[in-house]
Amino acid sequence: MLKLPRFVRTTTFRLTLLFLALFAGAAAAFLGYIYVATAGEVSRRADNEITREMNSLEAAYRQGGVNALNTAIIERSASEKPFLYLLMDRTGKKISGTIPVSPMDETGDGENWDSFTLTDTDMDGGEIRRPARGMQERLEGGEILFVGADVSESEAFVVGIARALWGAGALIIILGLAGGVLVSRNVARHMQGLTEAVAAVRGGDLRTRVRVRGVRDEYDELAEGLNDMLDRLEQSMGGLRHAGDAIAHDLRSPLTRLRARLEASLIEIENGKGDPLQALEQALEDADNVLTTFNAVLAIARLQAAGRIPDPKPFDPGELASNMAELYEAVCEDKGLDFKAELTPRLSVNGAKEILAQALANLLDNAIKYTPEGGAVMLRVRRRSSGEVEFSVTDTGPGVPEEDRARVVQRFVRLENSRSEPGSGLGLSLVAAVAEAHGGRLELSEGPGAIDGSGPGLRVALVLPRPE
Amino acid sequence: MRILIIEDDIEAAEAMKRGLGEAGYECEHASDGEYGLEAARAGDYSVLIVDRMMPRRDGVSVVETLRREGDATPVLFLSAMGEIDDRVVGLKAGADDYLVKPYAFAELIARVEALSRRRETGAVSTTLKVGDLEMNLLTREVHRAGKEVDLQPREFQLLEFLMRHAGQSVTRTMLLEKVWEYHFDPQTNVIDVHISRLRSKIDKGFDRAMLQTVRGAGYRLDP
Repeated sequence: MLKLPRFVRTTTFRLTLLFLALFAGAAAAFLGYIYVATAGEVSRRADNEITREMNSLEAAYRQGGVNALNTAIIERSASEKPFLYLLMDRTGKKISGTIPVSPMDETGDGENWDSFTLTDTDMDGGEIRRPARGMQERLEGGEILFVGADVSESEAFVVGIARALWGAGALIIILGLAGGVLVSRNVARHMQGLTEAVAAVRGGDLRTRVRVRGVRDEYDELAEGLNDMLDRLEQSMGGLRHAGDAIAHDLRSPLTRLRARLEASLIEIENGKGDPLQALEQALEDADNVLTTFNAVLAIARLQAAGRIPDPKPFDPGELASNMAELYEAVCEDKGLDFKAELTPRLSVNGAKEILAQALANLLDNAIKYTPEGGAVMLRVRRRSSGEVEFSVTDTGPGVPEEDRARVVQRFVRLENSRSEPGSGLGLSLVAAVAEAHGGRLELSEGPGAIDGSGPGLRVALVLPRPE
Repeated sequence: MRILIIEDDIEAAEAMKRGLGEAGYECEHASDGEYGLEAARAGDYSVLIVDRMMPRRDGVSVVETLRREGDATPVLFLSAMGEIDDRVVGLKAGADDYLVKPYAFAELIARVEALSRRRETGAVSTTLKVGDLEMNLLTREVHRAGKEVDLQPREFQLLEFLMRHAGQSVTRTMLLEKVWEYHFDPQTNVIDVHISRLRSKIDKGFDRAMLQTVRGAGYRLDP
């Protein structure tokens, strides 16, 4: 098949051709009308003059017969711009006139019109052929009268008009085609950028972006939309890859530990030393820890991959916190911590209640875990002046140094002094993922400050955007 | 009591059969949804354990079909999909309980036990009685050996659940799900704290403790 240029295959070009055809049709009708109205008018006027002359000669004939007609013809032949005359008898023989023979083939009754060519000899002896037109009639007495006129001037005018119209038509088609080609090439060029980006992404390169020219037209909008989409895609792919790495990394060590313990126990039991029951219980506990980590990583990855909470519903955050407070107050009391809840009633947030409950539980678990006996934990729900709703958990534990605050939110980051405590290091990461999935954020700041050798404490706030 | 396990993972089903067999249940196994549906129609089972994702017919469809046919056998749904929506789909289809894989065996047995016993409880009554412990559901009063026990609302709900499952092991997760209606695993043992509070109220001053800790499983209220 013939390989056409790219722009020719575009929809735009095909549309251009269609419009060009329609436009050419309209132009043809228009130009046709102009032709009829101008050129047609010119020939009609020439014909009218001939008819008038014929009528006036016929009037002379009716008054004075053939002789009067003959005289009139001779008189008129001498005028400035003569018509062509020929008076013949009933057999077609010339009686008088300015041309030798009638250009008409037929000598029928009534009016006969015809166009013909006059052949003259100019001063140099060359032939000049000029267009002419005339009419012939049989008079009442049987004589035949021909009246004609040299129409070379009006013919030239008509030819001029026709030429101009052809030119205009050609110009329309050329300009239309050129415009179509330009527009199509323009569109094709833009589309090519998009197509290339899509092809690159399909080929696995998620870092490709479409060029935005900054003119804020629909191509820019499309390009920006596509780039946004690619950003999101890259981010979630990155998140998944990261989750995969994290799972591999963090499951490898406990799985290795589990395997090593099982193997050691097996050898011990074979030698009649170890306690099989204890070994199995230890193995079970190790496996459970692996599963806990796995579930947390999976939950974070799912939230991050989804980007948004799938089906947010409005609910009262104070009520949720109040239920959590009821659950955890007893735990605080049991550990010798002072627990306080300050919950603003009748607020509303949009989100997934269960997932936020999990996040709050993580925050409370952390606070209780790190706050020494005699300390305090406070749960608070309030509306900020910005309209955002904030859940916060404040403790009087050792806190997190400012330079580490951004880091502890990352996966598996556990500060040195907390490594001895149980936990996966995923609690805060999950809370951060929950906040982000709600379009909110996590804020870490200092607690109430250092008092009596404890503190300064940590305040973690889960900030949800103002409900719409 | 007979249990039907509808699960396409043969090894998982075998392990389940072993474990439930040890706990005194007689188990049968169907390896996909179609066989499972036929077996459930043909046999008389106390509990059906149904995996969610299976070849030929998935678990949701099996449960929906049985319920449509008027079969009310308690169903425990098993699934690797633990998201809230998945659980809602399972329960909506007509399952009675939902357990996410991987699960602790004690959890599975406790839930199967809870489901299999539930069938036997007959008419609705306004009082619960376990040993010398009595609960009036209308006046919301609790007495042990005639002595009034003062409980907070949540403690009342906790005790009610334990009394309805008297003699059975109930796990911490079950309590968190059924009493508090939360579906997550807290790191700290919040349930233990609430149980010990309840225990101090119903067992303190009596020479026999009713509220027992079951090692590796959870708790049990003994008559």
